[in-house]
Amino acid sequence: MLFRQILVLMACCGLADDQRSPDGREASLRIFRDHVAPLLESRCLSCHTDAEAEGDFSLETAAALRESGHVVPGSPQNSHLLSVLAGEDDKPPRMPQEAEPLGEQERAWLTEWIRTGAAWPRDRQLALARVADRNWWSLQPLQRTTIPQVPTPAWSRNPIDHFVLARLEDKMLTASPEAGRRKLVRRLVFDLLGLPPTPSQVATFLEDRAPDAYERLVDRLLASPRYGERWARHWLDVAHYADTHGYDKDKVRPHAWPYRDYVIRSFNEDKPYGRFVMEQIAGDVLWPGTVDGVTATGFISAGPWDFIGHAEIPETKIDGRVARNLDRDDMVSSTLNTFCSTTIQCARCHNHKYDPITQEHYYSLQSVFAALDRADRSYDADPKTAARRASLNRKESELLAEKAVLDARLERAAGDELAAIDAELATLENQQPSSKAEKPEFGYHSNIETQPDIAKWVQVDLGRSRPIGFIVYVGCHDSFNDIGSGFGFPPRYKVEVSDDADFQLGVTSLVDHTQNDIANPGTEPQIVQSPVGLKGRYVRITATRLAQRKDDYHFALAEILVLTPDCHNVARNRKVTSLDSIEAPVRWQRKNLVDGHYPNATTLPPVLARIAGLQQQRKGLLASALHGDLKVLVTANQAVLQEVTDAVKALPPLAKVYAGTVHHGKGKNFVGTGANGGRPRVIHVLSRGNILSPTEEARPGTIPVIPGTNWRFPLPPSHSEGDRRAALAGWLVSDDNPLTWRSIVNRVWQYHFGHGIVDSPNDFGRMGKPPSHPQLLDWLAIEFRDRGQSLKKLHKLLVSSAVYRQSSAHNRRNSQLDSENVYLWRMGRRRLTAEEIRDTVLEVSGRLNPAMFGPGFELFVMEHPDHSPHYEYHKHDPDDPPSLRRSIYRLIVRSQPDPFMTTLDCADSSQSVPTRDETVTALQALSLLNNKFMLRMSVHFSDRLAAESKNTSEQVQYAFQQVTGHLPTENQHQALMRYTNEHGTDNLCRLLFNLNEFVFVD
Amino acid sequence: MVGRHTLTDPTKQSSDTMNTRRNFLQQLGSGFGSMALLGLLRDEDSLAGSVDPGTGRTVQILHHPAKAKRVVQLFMGGAASHVDLFDYKPALEKHHGEPSDFGEHVEAFQDGLGPWMKSPFKFRPYGECGKYLSDVVEPLGDVVDDIAFIHNIVGKTGVHSQATYLQSTGFDTPGFPGMGCWISYALGSMNDNLPTFVVMPDHRGYASNGPKNWSAAFLPTHHQGTIIRPGTENPIADLLPAAKYVTQESDNRALELLTQFNRKHQETRLGDPRLEARIRSYELAAKMQLSTPEALDLSDEPQHILQMYGLDHGRTSFGEEINPVEETEYFSRKCLVARRLLERGVRFVQIWSGNDNGFPRRNWDSHEDISRDHGPLAMGMSRGASALIKDLKQRGMLEETVILWTTEFGRMPSTQDNKGRDHNPYCFTNWLCGGGIRGGITYGESDQWGYKPLDRENPMQVYDVHATILHLLGIDHQRLTVRHNGVDRRLTDVHGHVIAPLIS
Repeated sequence: MLFRQILVLMACCGLADDQRSPDGREASLRIFRDHVAPLLESRCLSCHTDAEAEGDFSLETAAALRESGHVVPGSPQNSHLLSVLAGEDDKPPRMPQEAEPLGEQERAWLTEWIRTGAAWPRDRQLALARVADRNWWSLQPLQRTTIPQVPTPAWSRNPIDHFVLARLEDKMLTASPEAGRRKLVRRLVFDLLGLPPTPSQVATFLEDRAPDAYERLVDRLLASPRYGERWARHWLDVAHYADTHGYDKDKVRPHAWPYRDYVIRSFNEDKPYGRFVMEQIAGDVLWPGTVDGVTATGFISAGPWDFIGHAEIPETKIDGRVARNLDRDDMVSSTLNTFCSTTIQCARCHNHKYDPITQEHYYSLQSVFAALDRADRSYDADPKTAARRASLNRKESELLAEKAVLDARLERAAGDELAAIDAELATLENQQPSSKAEKPEFGYHSNIETQPDIAKWVQVDLGRSRPIGFIVYVGCHDSFNDIGSGFGFPPRYKVEVSDDADFQLGVTSLVDHTQNDIANPGTEPQIVQSPVGLKGRYVRITATRLAQRKDDYHFALAEILVLTPDCHNVARNRKVTSLDSIEAPVRWQRKNLVDGHYPNATTLPPVLARIAGLQQQRKGLLASALHGDLKVLVTANQAVLQEVTDAVKALPPLAKVYAGTVHHGKGKNFVGTGANGGRPRVIHVLSRGNILSPTEEARPGTIPVIPGTNWRFPLPPSHSEGDRRAALAGWLVSDDNPLTWRSIVNRVWQYHFGHGIVDSPNDFGRMGKPPSHPQLLDWLAIEFRDRGQSLKKLHKLLVSSAVYRQSSAHNRRNSQLDSENVYLWRMGRRRLTAEEIRDTVLEVSGRLNPAMFGPGFELFVMEHPDHSPHYEYHKHDPDDPPSLRRSIYRLIVRSQPDPFMTTLDCADSSQSVPTRDETVTALQALSLLNNKFMLRMSVHFSDRLAAESKNTSEQVQYAFQQVTGHLPTENQHQALMRYTNEHGTDNLCRLLFNLNEFVFVD
Repeated sequence: MVGRHTLTDPTKQSSDTMNTRRNFLQQLGSGFGSMALLGLLRDEDSLAGSVDPGTGRTVQILHHPAKAKRVVQLFMGGAASHVDLFDYKPALEKHHGEPSDFGEHVEAFQDGLGPWMKSPFKFRPYGECGKYLSDVVEPLGDVVDDIAFIHNIVGKTGVHSQATYLQSTGFDTPGFPGMGCWISYALGSMNDNLPTFVVMPDHRGYASNGPKNWSAAFLPTHHQGTIIRPGTENPIADLLPAAKYVTQESDNRALELLTQFNRKHQETRLGDPRLEARIRSYELAAKMQLSTPEALDLSDEPQHILQMYGLDHGRTSFGEEINPVEETEYFSRKCLVARRLLERGVRFVQIWSGNDNGFPRRNWDSHEDISRDHGPLAMGMSRGASALIKDLKQRGMLEETVILWTTEFGRMPSTQDNKGRDHNPYCFTNWLCGGGIRGGITYGESDQWGYKPLDRENPMQVYDVHATILHLLGIDHQRLTVRHNGVDRRLTDVHGHVIAPLIS
């Protein structure tokens, strides 16, 4: 209150027209422009604009601030704004909420601005800060760089080494010598295949003294199908692929795996990366009819899906819209994180705080996916079948069009009689109950009485006296007091017809149950056939004994139908009167008695009979009209149509893939956009991400990172949803996109070297890391982009470098300067991933089945599959034959992941995982020692030893070499021999699987 | 790889060396002998000197003095009804059976907007504070003067999965760490032979989202909740080998040889703390094998304790129908185990009541019949919770242990079908106890029906509850951040206020 009073006094000297000295105003304006306006825009406006005035306070315009009274020009000590920013009595400042307090300098500028009169330039409106600054490394175009010259060229093997050496020298670091050949082969095979080198691979390489022995080994490995299985796993980590939905009732997606197989196939085929990217966003649009084109779109649906939020809640409900908004958020985030290393998800609720991405950009990307849902999509696994199916479908629609023309001709030929029958059929059709779904419009309900024997009537006025064929009445269903069906149905009643509304004159009695109680018929329709020739205007039902409710009595009825002899319901929506009534809409009111809604409503037997009769007549009429050339044409059309239908049926069945697709849902909740012809949902920019606060409509577009282009896609007004995705796909792989090419070479680099050139592979923005070797990154990106986009060539380039071939040995001096090995003065040692450990254990135990592709195998027993599946891992038999395959083929459960694999830092499929954790814990020790898979495989490994040799000494040597890649030393051999002699080879194998040397690769 | 993370200033990054080292300390510190490892590492590198041997964490970690050290979270899966347990509504008794009128359009999850429905249970006042509690939580009457109720919590949606995520991780989508993970991450372990964060799920099935509610997400894996299933052969997965060929002796000798071989391997690979850490991890695993069965063995609990927890019923089978004795057996036993774990230095225990919202109902999702399901579940829950509070108090542990009772959302004051209630994400109850919480108070009222907060402008949210619990543990919720994929993530997202009136 105080502030307002002061404001009135001072309104004329600040914030509006300053009457102080021109110099003071000048200074105040300058402070405003240089310091205060940017400060308010960046720190306050996110909550205090005219549109979103938290605490009823806006800082957008001078007028708004004046209105608030929180600033008293010339008087900092009386300005409320300063006190909430400063904090009082050691309490932290109240504003800005949930953010760092303002700095001292910032508060000083504000104080000074107020002291000098709080000048605000006329017509200056502040706007919420956007990061417009594009001066950031990852947004700059790719730069061609020359390969640096280095003083020690002898060490170098390819240009990568020049870039790395140059940085090492900058940092006073020295490169390491090449690792021993045994270590190299183990490193390389695990890296490229995710499996241990076989003894023969090792031997071949060790014996091959040719100068290009290493390069040829690389070629052999890249040609192995095991390569795609290993590298697809990296990709699926980023795409957060799993075989169940996640969330509540985590159900299996039985058709997710074709996407997983697509990724494996694409890596093995060395598909050009641009094509790989485009297929995953819009393969179905750009390469229709191809298997890869459809299965690739499993990328869009790879992440979690809220089953309840979609399957049990329609889009008309708020919760349903929230679920779909979050669903699209996952599609958008996954696309931008994966392909562009850009964190866009922040912009769902507010403009990105660090990168030049606004909410508009974000929602423009949501609109690209706005027609899609996650659902099964059919496709032909054989492209020839696809072509044949397309041709048959075309033929079928031609024939159906022809049939429609012929049918019309035939109906015309059948004349007026047919038209009359059709009209009547249409009328009968119209009066059918609309749906069987229970509606809340229960029916008619009398007043409640304390004793039963009180007569109460209810009647329908048919408008005029009409012929009456049948009278039908139906009891109610209400769960009150567990009565349920037949709620309020009177034990004694009569049914009468009259032309007199008061039923004094000319009353025909049709039913009289007034003398004895009858059994409650529930909701079974009571059908009364009237005597031939009966006419009447009013139909009355009178209860003479009321139904018992709890301790009281009443009369209720769901519906009355009055059918003419030819079965037209003439009671529908007619006037209903009654002795009394409880009018309590929507459930109870008189008009509910003739509204067509009643429990279990189905077509009544007399009506069915009438319809059947009419249809019989219709058939006869058409048959007699069919003759001459019309008959020839119709017969021919029928025959060919039958042929086509049979041919479609004979095609091999359609395969399915769980994909991002236009969904044609049946039922009422998860319907998708199929019924709308796949027209995208209208997407609005949501203020604060709130579904209830839509602002302007978003149009398809992306983030503004390609200079000289419009971030909105130039699409014609009539474009399809597929056009939107095709536009996004084209944008992603544009030569000028500064993110896509850097992103992929950085990911590949990271998987080979342990950390990326940019050590935040999903974020190249200001919250991410800067590149350690920016020139190398751009050089690799351009090489990759311009020379075929071959991942296999990129692998070969990387693993053939001297950098990759370095020893992983420690170097005290280098370590002091660069303990994290950012500049790659050595090769990193790494722990095997969960999949590598499991696959290797299977392999050396002789149990690995190399079969590729197909539905995922289960490492659990599923219980309660219908409601919420329980995935019981501890009940799985580790010897179950289908489960003896590589881990990439296991069925991945999102909400209940495999505990053994999780303990070994397997990726969490609820989120994009660009880099695996590499932890060392006691639970891991317990898992490797005691998990039943490990225990059982140790026995198989031991059986294999027995088959290799009868001699313990040889068995120990063989086993040790399998696990570590080399023979034990004499001491080790002796120790293991003693252990084996005492405890057997089962225990020996269990021990070997727990060696550090087994789980770490030098 | 662990993202950059810091407990102090997210813009300042500590040295790389420190980060690597701390990562491994943390991993081992998750219940597995940080002390021993610290001693060992200290010889190698003076940086370790700045680590607090008591917590395995850097000394400056606490943002302010802590009131509490431990947390117990009791989570009711399926959504427990506030108006039938803790939030007494005389207006519902008065208007029972009348058509419900919310004064605005209400979007129900199903169709539960039937007449107002009074609770099938009677409410009576308890304790010095005179708080009204329902008869089915009567045992909590004994300790009501230690409890602070919050009746104006609001959620975001009435969808089980999103709501469970929101209450367990602070986010309504998958991919975020549970509260226990954050606390494990922030404070580390207080023991060297048990996990830091223990979860005891309802043995009949997981609540919505299952283990994702306690998954570490982007925190290092070892901060995830470790499931303990008391009374089963392997209460912790893979604790003991189930193979005849492994004998005590072959096992012991294998561990000796492993240490010997691994040490040899390490000697030729200096400068890699992971190799040492892994050697240690086998020693710690062995300790855990010994300590876990002891911690879970209730045979040394005296009769009066078993009686207090209601575990003296002497029954081994319980019949088909849901019943209070069986529910007490399940929930209360977990509470007693929780006390033993807390005594042994476990920092965070999460106990779940209610399975996957299926049928027959063994969960709080009472769309059909509040009395049938809520009755026995609440009697079991309240007996266990009350005994745990009393037990901790008599051992002087309550003042350092925060107990949080929570659920997914509330239930509507109107009827669904005849005797059930629909979801109410617009208002529900949490309560807190111990660990610096002011007892015997109610903070934040619901309206006369329990439909929405009385003051709709100022509701409480999960962020506020989480911020308050972190505060009691000495952590400023705004400063506990981890950078993940370009965002500095917090348990409380960008929200949350410490609820000062709840703190004594």
